[in-house]
This record gives sequence, structure tokens and C-alpha cells, in this order.
Amino acid sequence: MILGNYLATAALFCIGLYVLLTRRNLIKIVMGLSLMEASTYLFMVSLAYRAGSTAPVLASPPAGTTARQLAHGNVADPVLQNFCLTAVVIGVAVTAVFLSVVVRIAQHYRTLDADKVRAMRG
Amino acid sequence: MTRASIRERTAVAHAAAHEATEREPYHRPWLGALLVAGVAAVLGAAMAGMPREHAPLPLIARYALEVAIPRWKLTEPVNEIVYGTRGFDTFGETFLLLAAVVSVVVITRPREPRRGYFGEAAAGAREQQQDDPDVGSDAAEQEARSAERREQGEQERGGREPAETPDATPLGTPAPETAEAMTVVVRNGIRVVLPILAVAGLYLVTWGYSPGGGFPGGAVILGVLLLVYAGYGRRKISKVIRPGLIEPLELAGAGLIIMTEFLGLVFKGSFSANWLPLAPMLTPLSGGVAQLFSAAELIEVGTGLTIVVFALLGMTHDWAHDDRGEPRGGRPKR
Repeated sequence: MILGNYLATAALFCIGLYVLLTRRNLIKIVMGLSLMEASTYLFMVSLAYRAGSTAPVLASPPAGTTARQLAHGNVADPVLQNFCLTAVVIGVAVTAVFLSVVVRIAQHYRTLDADKVRAMRG
Repeated sequence: MTRASIRERTAVAHAAAHEATEREPYHRPWLGALLVAGVAAVLGAAMAGMPREHAPLPLIARYALEVAIPRWKLTEPVNEIVYGTRGFDTFGETFLLLAAVVSVVVITRPREPRRGYFGEAAAGAREQQQDDPDVGSDAAEQEARSAERREQGEQERGGREPAETPDATPLGTPAPETAEAMTVVVRNGIRVVLPILAVAGLYLVTWGYSPGGGFPGGAVILGVLLLVYAGYGRRKISKVIRPGLIEPLELAGAGLIIMTEFLGLVFKGSFSANWLPLAPMLTPLSGGVAQLFSAAELIEVGTGLTIVVFALLGMTHDWAHDDRGEPRGGRPKR
């Protein structure tokens, strides 16, 4: 039942969003963002799933089928796997950008509390 | 002021500082919960309408599966999509990655040395004294500074040279651990695992029909470098991991990707088209331009993630005293 995966995805996203909205510790805000990001990976992989399907690999098709038959047959969605593959790498780099900003803020203001970093509040 | 009262004040200040670091900053938890409940309701409704496990594959996925062998001689449709059918998308993502790497490099770079502006320090001396007087440093800052000097590889004046590995530290030496490498057990474990991991990463790229290609391969290469860093210390990799080497490599990878995609426009009249002859299936060169793109992506992702991680690890402390936020314990507030 893939709907369970979808709901788990939504729950993960909401936990991340709750952290983002209520916590004021900058490291925890970055962790919340990472959690929301991870929920999209789970969502894309779950969306690629098909009942009883094989992996989208045509190299050695199951006995009794050719690669051409497999390409028209029941396989998991390769496009969403592609999205996930690249999103993970981009996610790491973007998290690093967040963290370097957080380190600079911590060095400059000597605090990780976002409420105390209010130089831009006018 | 008596000595006892000073001690009392210090204790109060320490307690306040402790409370400030331990307090968990929260912000309107009820409003947050309400908004999240709303988002959860919307997401739940949307998820109920998503295609389930019995839905037919989308047309783009079916198309990619069908053209993978005849047009690209690739038995790995995921690779075919990353570097072939959706090559332009990957091209854009590569430069998203490059933009993130450049942002990290810009944010984490050390303060530039002042050069060529004569009289700058003397001209600003009065304002410097007014706005940012030199108040000296407290014990915590001195300890942090000496730890940072050790981390940066500078000799401590009058201090003992830290041992290279924990095995060289005499027994009974008081904590904290100062060795930059790990114990002989960990180092030998890494020695065994490292070649396997490195070969697995390169295998992912060389044999283009194995899932992934350059993206996971680059991440594995980062894992190899981090293992050496963690096990053997930064001195062992300082010859390889230095900006002068890996930043040009990163740009060379980006240049190779641009060239790979642009030559499709030159030779075949379409950006990211295949302009290389197709090798037989299940060989390292099968896939034509997809394999070249994948190898360039290995360079780009491997060096890019390495730059990002080591730029973060090497961020030095900015000791400027502009404490408009929370003043640290013991420092007078302006």
C-alpha cells in the first residue's frame, strides 16, 4: 500500500515545517529544512514504485523476456529515480550553504538564537 | 570590591551564560502547530489523489525506457535519462551545484589581508578605539584560540607539540585528546576499506550501465577523502586537498560539461545531442556522450562536494569584537 508511504512523506514534511516555524535555534532550522528535503526524496522514490515491477535495468531481463519487452512491461519509473539521484547531491551542497551562513552568524553575533539576530530589523 | 563578591558575580554571570545556552528558543508554537495542521490537511488531500502503484507509467518514463537501447545503446534507463533524454535538466542542476559551491567558498573565505592601502589603520585608529576597544580576552577565548592555532597547524608558543597519533601519546596524559589522527585500529580499518570504496566509486562511472554514473560516484569519492581526513588527520591530505588544485579541477569539470553539451549543438544541431559514435552495449564507452557527461559530472560533483565540506571544516573563527548580539560572559557591554 503505497499510500502509507505518501502519508509518511507528508508527515515528515510537516515535522520539518513545524521545526522551521517554531524553533529559533539556527542549527535546528537547518535540520528542519533537511528533513523537508528528505521527505521529497522519499516522495519521489515512492511515486516511482509500481506493484510487482522490476528495477528499470535492461541489462539482464528476467527469464523469458527480452530487453525490448521489459521496456514496454512493468518497471519502476526511472525519471523519478533520476530526480532523486541529482536532488540528493544538490541538497548536500545547499545544506552546506545554510551551515556556512549559520557559522558566520554564530561567529558574528555569538548566538544561534534567530530572535537575537536582528540587525536587519531596522 | 572584595574577592568573595567578585567570585559571586562571576558565578552569577556563568549561571546566566549557561541558562542562555541551554534555553531552547521557541517561537509561537501554537501558531506553528495551526499552520502545520493546515499544510498537513492540504498535503493529505493531495496525497490521496496521487497516482498509486497500479497507475500506468508516465509517457516520459515510457519514452526513456523505449529509446534507451536503440538510440543510446544504454541498458540503464536512469543513466540514459540523467545524461541523455533530460541532459539539459542535469546541465542546469550542475550549475546550481556550482553556484552553491561558489557561495560556500565566498562565505567561508578568511578575512582578506590588507595590502596596498597606506595609512588605513592609522586613519581609523580613533574610531577603532571608540567603537571596538581592545578589551583583552578571557580564559574561554584563550583556550579556544590555542585550540584553533593547533587546528591550523601553527606552533604554540611554549606549548608542547601535539602527538601525531593517539598511539604516540604517553599513557596517563590528561584529556583532551590532541592527536589529529585516529588509533592504529581505525587507521588499519581505513587502509582495508579505502581501495574497495574508491574502486566502487569509479566503477559506478566507468561502467555506464551500472546505476548512477557521476553523481553517486562523486559522492563516493568525497567519502574516500573524508575517511582519510578523519583517520589520518589533515596533514596527510593537505597536498591533495588544497584550493589551488581542486578549484581549477572543479572549473575544468564544469568546462568539460559545457563543451560536451555544446558540441552537440555544433555537430548535430541540437544542444546536448549525442555527437560521439555509439560503442556496443555493456562496454565502458556505451552511451556515447552520456558517458562523457557522466565522467565530467564525477569531476564536478566530487571536487565540488569536497570544496564545500573542507571549506566548512576550515572556517576559522572571526575574533572581531563587534558584539551587537549577546555579549559573552565577562566582556563589558558597550
